[in-house]
Amino acid sequence: MGPLLPNGIIPPEWNYIIAILIGIAFGYIMEATGFSSSRKLAGVFYGYDFAVLKVFFTSAVVAVIGLYYLDYLNFLDISQLYVQPTYLWAAVIGGMIMGVGFLAGGFCPGTSLCAVAIGKIDGMVFTVGLMIGILIFSESFSVLEPFFESSNLGHITLVDTLGISPYWIIFIMTILAIAAFAISDKIRNKVKKVFY
Amino acid sequence: MSKRYKSKKILVKRRYQILAVILLILAGGLVLLPKYTKSEGISPELFVKNALSSERFINTDLLADRIINNDPSVLLIDTRSEKEFKEFALTNAINIPLKNLLDEDYIDYIDQDVYDVIFYSNDNFYANQAWMIGNRMGFKNLHVLKGGLNEWFNTIINPKYPEETMPKEAFELYSTRKAAGMYFGIGTIDPTMKTGTKKETISKPAAPKKVITKPKKKKRVPEGGC
Repeated sequence: MGPLLPNGIIPPEWNYIIAILIGIAFGYIMEATGFSSSRKLAGVFYGYDFAVLKVFFTSAVVAVIGLYYLDYLNFLDISQLYVQPTYLWAAVIGGMIMGVGFLAGGFCPGTSLCAVAIGKIDGMVFTVGLMIGILIFSESFSVLEPFFESSNLGHITLVDTLGISPYWIIFIMTILAIAAFAISDKIRNKVKKVFY
Repeated sequence: MSKRYKSKKILVKRRYQILAVILLILAGGLVLLPKYTKSEGISPELFVKNALSSERFINTDLLADRIINNDPSVLLIDTRSEKEFKEFALTNAINIPLKNLLDEDYIDYIDQDVYDVIFYSNDNFYANQAWMIGNRMGFKNLHVLKGGLNEWFNTIINPKYPEETMPKEAFELYSTRKAAGMYFGIGTIDPTMKTGTKKETISKPAAPKKVITKPKKKKRVPEGGC
């Protein structure tokens, strides 16, 4: 049956409409969770608020468990889902830059737009910076390209790399998630409370 | 910290613990569920429905007609062994022995939706098996030559002369088949056809062509427009 769009169950004309609806829902939930506050986001690094870790890790685990149940029940063909290609070293460096930007600015690209939507000035400044960053990257892409494409490992997942059944990986990730939640709670209790 | 606040905090904590346990059970369920190999292709119900239907068969007359008319959408696939293929094969057929049907080299011939793939073998047997496999995989436009090469031989190459009492259509079919056989380079005009069915088969001499002259259009001088 699924995925719905590639298999033509939903006509492709709906593509953008669905994307907009999902985008609105995503933005709404991020704002409702308080992710448009840069203090909340930076809290992960300082140890006084782990909401970001909890929300994203939970959603990832819930989604993957749900998807694999749908796959098991033949409602969805997991092999048809798109897997982003892995550019290993480019991703490592990019992740570091993103981390620094995240900590310094207090937003990630999505949440900064959320902040803009509710009229936060720091969010607007961050978005302008984001655009400048995109411009610099795009203009210097011809220089960066050899490095960018040097470590393309293709559409791989942990299942391919480790050779373990995906179900075990999901189970281990779930345990890791719960452990991470428990540990982050312990850390938060030790760190001085910050009210914001 | 008040007692009430403390008990509320414990309650919240308990709720998170329950949620964590539910998540673990769900994830563990995936590991523990009995595994089964997923079948590729179409559902069993559809497979049986397709298999029971005779839509996949194409008869030899129709095939001969399509070959003679150079139908570009016909893709003949010979499912017999290479040796048999070399001995005799239909025009422009490709040899894909049944056991090599899903080989990487050949799969693109079958898994496509441009051509009408027509499987044939000595009879229906191998061709039907090839069709079953292709149908199960969900490939489109697969057909089977009904009766295979035996039927081809009996109808096109060496058609049986109809009995005198048979209807006119039978004689017409016979002459068509005979002509098709000649096209494939094997049949010869047999004496019975010359004598017995002269009236039916030999077409009337074409009437002299009338030359219709088209009146030439007068060249119109473009008039001035506004």
